[in-house]
Amino acid sequence: MRPRVKPMDKLGKRLRDDAASIDAKISAELDHRIQASLQGIEPVRTRPASQQARPYSRWLASSLTGIAAAIAVIAIINLERPGPEPIASNPVQPLVLPTINLKVEAAMLTSPLQQELEDLQSDLRKAEQAVREDIEISF
Amino acid sequence: MARQQPAYDVTDDLELIEAAQDGSVDAFTELVHGYREGLFRFLLTRCSNHADAEDALQDTFINAYRYIRSYNPRWRFSTWIYRIAIRNAARLKSPQVQELGEIGDEESDPLRHCIADSERQNLWWNARRLLTDEVFTAMWLRYVEDMSVNDISAVLKRSVSWTKVNLMRGRRSLDVELNKEANEAKSEAYG
Repeated sequence: MRPRVKPMDKLGKRLRDDAASIDAKISAELDHRIQASLQGIEPVRTRPASQQARPYSRWLASSLTGIAAAIAVIAIINLERPGPEPIASNPVQPLVLPTINLKVEAAMLTSPLQQELEDLQSDLRKAEQAVREDIEISF
Repeated sequence: MARQQPAYDVTDDLELIEAAQDGSVDAFTELVHGYREGLFRFLLTRCSNHADAEDALQDTFINAYRYIRSYNPRWRFSTWIYRIAIRNAARLKSPQVQELGEIGDEESDPLRHCIADSERQNLWWNARRLLTDEVFTAMWLRYVEDMSVNDISAVLKRSVSWTKVNLMRGRRSLDVELNKEANEAKSEAYG
């Protein structure tokens, strides 16, 4: 089924017309050449896709063979390799953490900040008191 | 223009394909008869000379017949045969003509010889200068062969979105060229 083609716009029409103006007549000689070349050819026999795909059993067999071969190779390599050399026991060095010298200085609060701090502490005390009263009421 | 002789429909095509797969050269010849001129016209735009275009057409039919048994009816026959043609054209392209926009010898350029004498420039001539090989092919398949975007993406082995975007870009480039041409004609008319 041919695809539905939109109505031709100006560019599309121009492209189509210009393509049509290219002279592509096939000469009798070329036609004869093509015919002659086709005569001596036989289509290549290709197996259908269903046959090309390997059956499941073959995939399984080849996978198992591969795994067995890999195990055998690993085993041979490990058997041929000399045993592990004894590791010299080194006493564990105590882990020394670098000490960080923190220079801590007491901040000198100016009077407004001091006042602020006292207000906050007072608020905190009041809040604590309120919570305690609530707990006593609820229990 | 895509199919010069749409004398048979898809069902007929399938019958001919089956006969060709069984080794009938006559069925194959009948099958490709409708595609010959369209393919040759396309190859003329893709090859650096007329002889190469003829060779590419011949090779396309030979390869198509040889591998007709691998044709999958899931795709349109034109999609399949254009893919073969594009591959052959690329193979026959001489090394110095890697890009269509880099035609070296204009005298041997088949497109120059085949375009009928006309007052105006053939837009495909400009398209070849402005667009890359793939975008040129996409534009040709869309506007000359009426192929769907899906089929074009299958021919070019590109994604559908790539095809859409590049068709749009190709259109835009050629639109600019068309407008330029119109403006030149207008200025000439007004002296």
